Amino acid sequence: MKNIVQSIFMLCLLLIGSVGFSQAKKPTLMVVPSDVLCNQNGWMKTYNNQGNIVKVPDYKRAFQESTYLLLTISKINELMAERGFPLKNMESALKTLESNAAENAMRSSKETGAAVNESPIDQLKAIAKADIILQLTLTLNKTGPKKSVTFNLQGLDSYTDKQIASASGTGAPSFSAEIPVLLEEAVLAHMDNFTGSLQNHFDDMFENGREVIVRIQKWDDWDGDLESEYEDEELGTIIEDWMADNSVKGRFSTTDMTENMALFEQVRIPLFNEKGRAIDARRFVKKLSKFLKNSPYEIPNKLVMKGLGRATIILGGK
Amino acid sequence: MKNNSKNLLLLLVLLVFSFNVNAQRKKNKANKDTKVWRYDVECEGIAKQGAKLVKVWSYSKNPKHAISSAMKNAVHGMIFKGYAGGGRGCTSFQPLVKDAASESKFKTFFDAFFADGGEYMKYVSSATDGSIAPGDRLKISKREYKIGVIVNVMSDQLRKRLETEGIIKSLSSGF
Repeated sequence: MKNIVQSIFMLCLLLIGSVGFSQAKKPTLMVVPSDVLCNQNGWMKTYNNQGNIVKVPDYKRAFQESTYLLLTISKINELMAERGFPLKNMESALKTLESNAAENAMRSSKETGAAVNESPIDQLKAIAKADIILQLTLTLNKTGPKKSVTFNLQGLDSYTDKQIASASGTGAPSFSAEIPVLLEEAVLAHMDNFTGSLQNHFDDMFENGREVIVRIQKWDDWDGDLESEYEDEELGTIIEDWMADNSVKGRFSTTDMTENMALFEQVRIPLFNEKGRAIDARRFVKKLSKFLKNSPYEIPNKLVMKGLGRATIILGGK
Repeated sequence: MKNNSKNLLLLLVLLVFSFNVNAQRKKNKANKDTKVWRYDVECEGIAKQGAKLVKVWSYSKNPKHAISSAMKNAVHGMIFKGYAGGGRGCTSFQPLVKDAASESKFKTFFDAFFADGGEYMKYVSSATDGSIAPGDRLKISKREYKIGVIVNVMSDQLRKRLETEGIIKSLSSGF
């Protein structure tokens, strides 16, 4: 009897420990110069897309040419690191991607000479990315001898495309201060407000769950679709009911639902599973994937993820 | 002769005692003025990293009391009031503690923190060596003054202190 009580006590302690000390998955943050900043400074690449001239930002050139940009990003990184949130450095991420691509191209198996397998999707995914993009726009204003800096920093959720934090404004005009000094002042003046709004976002996330996007698609060779009926209920509705049962406080919106696809936005997922482990969109949707694989539906499916906040299930096979 | 020295000693004791009582009375008066936390805070410019340069307008019947309570008011303002932006490149500042109930919830801590010579002194320094600009000494009624003092508040250190105490959460808490 004493042993049983002791075991229960130990189990309780372990449970409390695992829940109490669990840490939610920490989002990655990265400062990215905005398209307008790149365009104004000529840091753009142009290419012909089937007759359309398309302009895209050339980030590598931006980092190689602008000391002002580097100074501003470095100051933002410094202040965020002080708040316990070191940022990913985009310039380093771009260099790492380049060296990884070169290594992969050169690598071959010692035994068979086989190359590293990389699908077109893998190549598409090999870009500098972060869960939260800090989009930076800087404008240097000149009125006669007076100079000032307009600063705009937007925190954008990479998955929901929502602006979750921001700080913007124009600094005091100065006759004498150098531009780097004005830039530093702009960052110092705005970062408290930015971290304040970011904190509000995190507070909301801890209270109401992480906001993610879940997409359901089907392979074109699968004979079923979201209108197929199981026990007098359409598959789309069954998935919708699962969402309502498993999201935090049943919060989600069905943005689109056709026979071929469903899109659920503003899905609030818990930060921890029943074992107290931190989860992201993929771990959350994995449960739906298993639910659909099991009886009575028995639908084979493939789970595809994108960072912490986006997951897709493709019905009909792996 | 002996009586004379006795009287002198008594006089001295009384004198010291009255000085003490007077000082205590002045301190109490300053505290009474501060107790209601009647003050305004405005941004005075961009300070060095981790600090805020602010002007605190304190109200009192005695200008000296207003000056002496300025530092306490400045720290209190950063914690509970914040300030609006304005000229000189200033942006608005949200108070470090956003929950209005925190002041009463952590009453013991804040009472000790804002006591005379309390810990708040560590996070504030005078930016003008204590001198008050003529335009910052205003007589707003027959018996009341409004005094503006420019001070430097070490907002980052203050925030970290409140985080350690568990009064506010750090940006990375929970991750």
